Amino acid sequence: MPGPLEGVRVIDFGQFLAGPFGPMLLADLGADVIKVEPTRGDGMRAHVVGSFMGCQRGKRDIAIDLKQPEGLEIARKLVATADMVHHNMTKGTADRLGVGYEHCRAVKPDILYCNNFMYGPIGPLSHLGGLDPIAQAASGIEWEQGPVAAGNPPLWYRYGHGDVAAAMPSVLALLIALYHRQRTGEGQSMWASLFHGSMLYTADVWIGPDGTSPERPTLDAQQLGLSALYRLYETSDGWLQLAAITEDHWRALCGVLGRHDLVDDPRFATCESRLANREELTKILEPIFMGDLAVNWRRALDAAGVPSEVSVDTWDGETVLFDDELMRLGIVTEYEHPLLGRVRQFGNLITFSDTPGKPQRAAPMLGQHTKEILAELGYDEATIEDYHSRGIVTWPSEGYAWPV
Amino acid sequence: MEGAREMSGALEGLRILDLSDGIAGPLGVLQLAEHGAEVIKVEPPGGLPGRNRPASRVYNRSRRSVVIDLKDARGRELFLELCGSADVLVEAFSSGTMAELGLAYEDLADRFPRLIYCSIPAWPTGTRYQQRPGYEALVHARTGQHWENTGFRAGPIFLHSPVASFGAMFLVPIGIMAALNARERTGKGQRVEVSLLQGVLSLTTQIWNWTDRGQFLLPKTHPPSVHQATIYECANGEWIHASTNAGVTPSRSEASILGIEDVSFAELMEMTPEQRAAYEETKRAAFLRHDRATLIEQYHEAGLGAEAIVAPHEHFAHPQLVATGSVVTVEDPQIGPTTQLGQTIFLERTPGTVTGPQPLLGAHTFEVLRALGHDDAELDALRARGTIEGPD
Repeated sequence: MPGPLEGVRVIDFGQFLAGPFGPMLLADLGADVIKVEPTRGDGMRAHVVGSFMGCQRGKRDIAIDLKQPEGLEIARKLVATADMVHHNMTKGTADRLGVGYEHCRAVKPDILYCNNFMYGPIGPLSHLGGLDPIAQAASGIEWEQGPVAAGNPPLWYRYGHGDVAAAMPSVLALLIALYHRQRTGEGQSMWASLFHGSMLYTADVWIGPDGTSPERPTLDAQQLGLSALYRLYETSDGWLQLAAITEDHWRALCGVLGRHDLVDDPRFATCESRLANREELTKILEPIFMGDLAVNWRRALDAAGVPSEVSVDTWDGETVLFDDELMRLGIVTEYEHPLLGRVRQFGNLITFSDTPGKPQRAAPMLGQHTKEILAELGYDEATIEDYHSRGIVTWPSEGYAWPV
Repeated sequence: MEGAREMSGALEGLRILDLSDGIAGPLGVLQLAEHGAEVIKVEPPGGLPGRNRPASRVYNRSRRSVVIDLKDARGRELFLELCGSADVLVEAFSSGTMAELGLAYEDLADRFPRLIYCSIPAWPTGTRYQQRPGYEALVHARTGQHWENTGFRAGPIFLHSPVASFGAMFLVPIGIMAALNARERTGKGQRVEVSLLQGVLSLTTQIWNWTDRGQFLLPKTHPPSVHQATIYECANGEWIHASTNAGVTPSRSEASILGIEDVSFAELMEMTPEQRAAYEETKRAAFLRHDRATLIEQYHEAGLGAEAIVAPHEHFAHPQLVATGSVVTVEDPQIGPTTQLGQTIFLERTPGTVTGPQPLLGAHTFEVLRALGHDDAELDALRARGTIEGPD
C-alpha cells in the first residue's frame, strides 16, 4: 500500500540536516524525492555518517554541478517535473545558483517552493545562516535545562532540536500549500526557520498585562525532576521515573512506601504545599527508594495505580531499534545499505490505517541515481557520458571514497 | 488584534473537532487553525483539566469552544451530528477511552467515510504497554531519553522540555495534512496515529542509526568547539551560545573579537589536552570580561553566529521575532492583553494569522449547535439537564 503522498514529487536541494530532514519525511510519506547533490558531496556526507543516514533515506540522488550551464539545465528540467522544491540555502544563494523561486516558477508555474533558514528572509539577521545551538539558545530551552536559575550553566540538547524545528514545520507548510493548490491551482513560495520553529518549544510562555509571565515548573539543580513526585529516583539497582500526578496517586504512593503518615502531614497536604516543600519531601523519599530494586518498585506502584517506569539506558537506541513489536508495527525499520549492511532506524513516525507506506530505501550514495534520472529526463547515453567526462554530473565508480 | 494579517486561509472550509488535552494535540491543531481551518474544541462539562495550565491560553487559542457531555446518550448524538459536519477529529485520550464512549474510529468509519480520525496516545496501539500510564516523562524513561543527554554528573538526567510531545506536536498536523491530501486522491478518510513514542523517535534522527558496521553517533561527551562546549559566561552572569558558523565567510575571527590569540580548529585539535585546556581557560576568561549584547553585535557584524541564552519570556524582544511579525498581542477574555508567539511558518500567498484567544468554556456551544439546526428551546433543555454548557 502506497503512502499518503503517493504521486507527489519533491526536488531537494538541501544539505546538512535542517534542509534534508524535511524531504526525508516527505519520502517516508510516499513522495518521490530526488536529492540534487553537488558533485563535491553534501557537507555532511564525509564527516557525520549517522546524521547523514538519519535525514537522507528514501531518496534518489543525482549529483550535478549547478555552476555549469548544462548542470543548471538538468536541475530546471527536474523542477519542471516536480510538485515541490525544498532546501536550506542561506538567503540569496538559490537565486545566485539559478534555482530560486522565480527560476523554478518559470519552468513550473504552480511549484510549491520552501526555503528553510536560520532566522528567516526578512529582518536584521536574515543574511546569516547558522546551526542548531543558536535556535536552542534563543528559544530558552538551554536556560531551563541548566537550569540556570538554580546556578547551573545552560545545557544544550543532543537531538538537533533546532534543525528538527525547521524541517518538520517546513513539511507542514508544504502540505498546507499542496492542499491549497489542489483547490485553487495556485502554487506559492514559503519558508520556515530553525529560530521560529524552536520558539514553539517555549510557546507555553506568554506575558500578561502586568508584564510578568506565569510561573513554569522548574528543574532542580541536580536535574532530576520538576517536583518531588514527578522525578527520577535512584533505587538499589538503577533509576525509576515516578509520575504521581493526582491526589489519588499521592495517597496510593504513601501506601506503597509504607508512609501513610505523610498523607496527613500538613507540609504535604495539598498539591501546592507538596510543591512548596519539594526538597523536604524529596529528602524523605530518596532513602526509601534506595531500599529496593527499580523493577520491584514499578510492580508495587503498578499494583497500587501509581504511574512509574524504570528509566532505562537503551544503549544508543539499540534496544528500541531491536524491539520486535516496534519492528512489526513499522515504527522501527530495517533495510540494506550497500556499504554499511543492515541499517536500523526509526520507521514510520505517523501510522496511517489505509495508506501505511514504509521507509525502505537506504540513504543514497553520491550520484547513485544520476544515470537513471537523466535517462528519465530524456538524455541519451552519449550526452550522459559526455556530461560525466566534463564533471557536470557524477556517479559512484570504482574506489568510491565516501563512507556512506 | 495586533500582528494579525489579512486572512486568506489556505485551509478555509476545513472543520476540525479537537477533543485533545495536553500539548501535542492542542499545539498541533493550532498550526492548522492559524492557517484557516475552523477548529471546534469539544470539551466535557467543567472543561478539560489542561485549561487550568497557563499554557492553555496559547495552545488552545484560535478556535471555538463547545461543551458536550459525551458520557450522555443525547450528548453523543449531538457529537455524531458534529462529526457529520467535520473533516477531522483529534483526540488524545488514553487507550480505550473513545471505544468506551462508542466513538472509536471503527465506530465512526462507516458512517463518516471521509473523516480523518487522528489519535495521539502516549504508547503506540498494538504494543504490549499500550495500556500503561502515558505521562511525558514515562515515555522518556522507557525509551532511554534520560540517558541520551549528558548532564553535569554521571547518570540519567530529567529533561525539562517535553521532547516527546514536541516531536508529536509537529507530526500531528503533518499526519492530518498528509491524510487530507490522500483523501483528495482516494475520496476516503482514515485513522492517523501519532504516539508520543513516535514523537520522541523523530528527535533521534541524528543519534540512533544502527548499522552492521556499528553506530555512528553524535558524541555523548562534549568535544571542544561544538555544541555544549561553545556555551560561555559573559560579564554580569549572562550566558552566550557562541556557535560561530553562520554559513557566510566571516570578516573577522572570534578570537580577534575576544582579544585573544587566534587558534584555528585544526591547531586546536593538534594540541595536547593540557594545551587545549589552557587555551580554553584563556577563552573563558575573555568571555567573562565582555558584555554579552556588545559581543553578539560584533559577532553578527563579522558574519559569525551567536545568541543570548535567555529565559523563555525574554525571546519576545528578539529583533528577528519582531521583524517577522511573530510576536502578537492576544486579547484574552479573562486577563486582557497578552504577548504571545504568533506565526512560525510563512506561506507567501496564504499567510496565516491568530484568529482569537482561547475561548471561554462553552462560549460557542449554542452558536455551533444552532447551526446544526437545533433551536434555543431544545438547547435550553439540554443545558438544564447538564448535557451541554455555555451562555446563550
